[in-house]
Amino acid sequence: MIRCKPLLGTFVEIRIEDESPSLKALDKAFLAIEQVQSLMSFYNLDSELFQINARSHLEPIRIHPWTAEVLTIAKEVHLQSQEVFNCGVGHRLVEAGLLPRHHNLNHDSFGGIEDLQLIEPSLVRSSLPLCLDLGGIAKGYAVDKAVEVLMANGIQTGSVNAGGDIRVFGDRSQGIQIRNPLKPHELIQIGSMKEGAIATSSLYFANRNTSSTSFMVNPLNQEYIELSESYSVIANRCVYADALTKVVSISRNILHPCLNYFSAQAIRIPSTESL
Amino acid sequence: MNWKPNPLLVIGLVAATAPIVAHAKIYVSVEQAQKILIPNKSLVKNPMIITDELQDKMRSASSIRHPFQGDRIWRAVDGSWFIVDEVVGKHEMITYAVALNPSGAVTGIEILEYVESYGYEVAEVNWRKQFAGKTAADPIKLNQDIQNIGGATLSCKHLTDGVKRVAVLYDIALKNMNLSLKAK
Repeated sequence: MIRCKPLLGTFVEIRIEDESPSLKALDKAFLAIEQVQSLMSFYNLDSELFQINARSHLEPIRIHPWTAEVLTIAKEVHLQSQEVFNCGVGHRLVEAGLLPRHHNLNHDSFGGIEDLQLIEPSLVRSSLPLCLDLGGIAKGYAVDKAVEVLMANGIQTGSVNAGGDIRVFGDRSQGIQIRNPLKPHELIQIGSMKEGAIATSSLYFANRNTSSTSFMVNPLNQEYIELSESYSVIANRCVYADALTKVVSISRNILHPCLNYFSAQAIRIPSTESL
Repeated sequence: MNWKPNPLLVIGLVAATAPIVAHAKIYVSVEQAQKILIPNKSLVKNPMIITDELQDKMRSASSIRHPFQGDRIWRAVDGSWFIVDEVVGKHEMITYAVALNPSGAVTGIEILEYVESYGYEVAEVNWRKQFAGKTAADPIKLNQDIQNIGGATLSCKHLTDGVKRVAVLYDIALKNMNLSLKAK
């Protein structure tokens, strides 16, 4: 059975291959994704992310263990990538009109993920005002959560795909296709995977009319990234694959040393006719 | 993690692998979506004639230009609604179901079919023809043809517009129907 719902700003597909599967398991998996969305969405004024951005420089904020885990992983990838990965670029995306302006952007400067401290496992505060956007990591985390729920509910084999961030599980090898960056309607069979995750960064479906800006920002120089090729990262967990695609596409280095640290590997698909 | 790269890709011969063109996915049937979104309630088909005036209001609220079809509306005894609609984008066509509770709040959205094609011509043709003659056995085959597509960052904004017009439909037409049925 395969179901699809609009979540996380994209389409989330959950496929289970078990015969006569528990439909409850699928419902619960979608609910887990909805919960990640409601905790970590930049768009949602009730989200914990909104609270962190609005108040964490003023007072400690108590957060859900899932939000704490994503922030911990974001800090870990930030550190290991020599700061190439940083979710503290929300204000740049707001300025470009890519995220809604519901924060006071009058602060002289914003801190990065490094300025956020977990003072207790579920209590954070920041030394500087923040404008974090978890768009580069929360989707992968949501995929992992959905897979955990499916497995905990006895599903043997399946996959979760949130707009191209994929995790497969079960003892069967599953084919993985990615889009040709030059012709996104064409798929390239890049390999097969058993128990693992893959995420891809590319800009081919961004609304690229003349006035629009790339939705990726380099945290080191705050500049927008232009990209015609695509980068995929394969890792054990989708949260790492998702975050590491940003490291690879910003550094344009598929051999970035931090991949090794996270037991991940990267693939570059060039955007040329002669591919 | 167990990853086996396509050997042709490794030696830089992607062109040697025939491209697979992304086409269509059929997820669940209307009947399955009804059971998912409005479980344990029996639904009665409640087709409606959509007047030009209503059509205009739905269009201006949602910026979706192609007309809404009123023949895919179902109602539960308690006043919940189940509506099937589609949005046609430049690159995709999505058939989806929306469930509304008796007061018109969206309680769930399920994608039934996702047809992807590139180019403008597809929005013009009667794309449903692609599914003519498909039986219940076909969706499984279609889904096996195209699995696990990475790098698909298509936004669901268009669908959000579709749901907006269903909300207008409720406000203008379905709400009154609930009231008049209650009065009986």
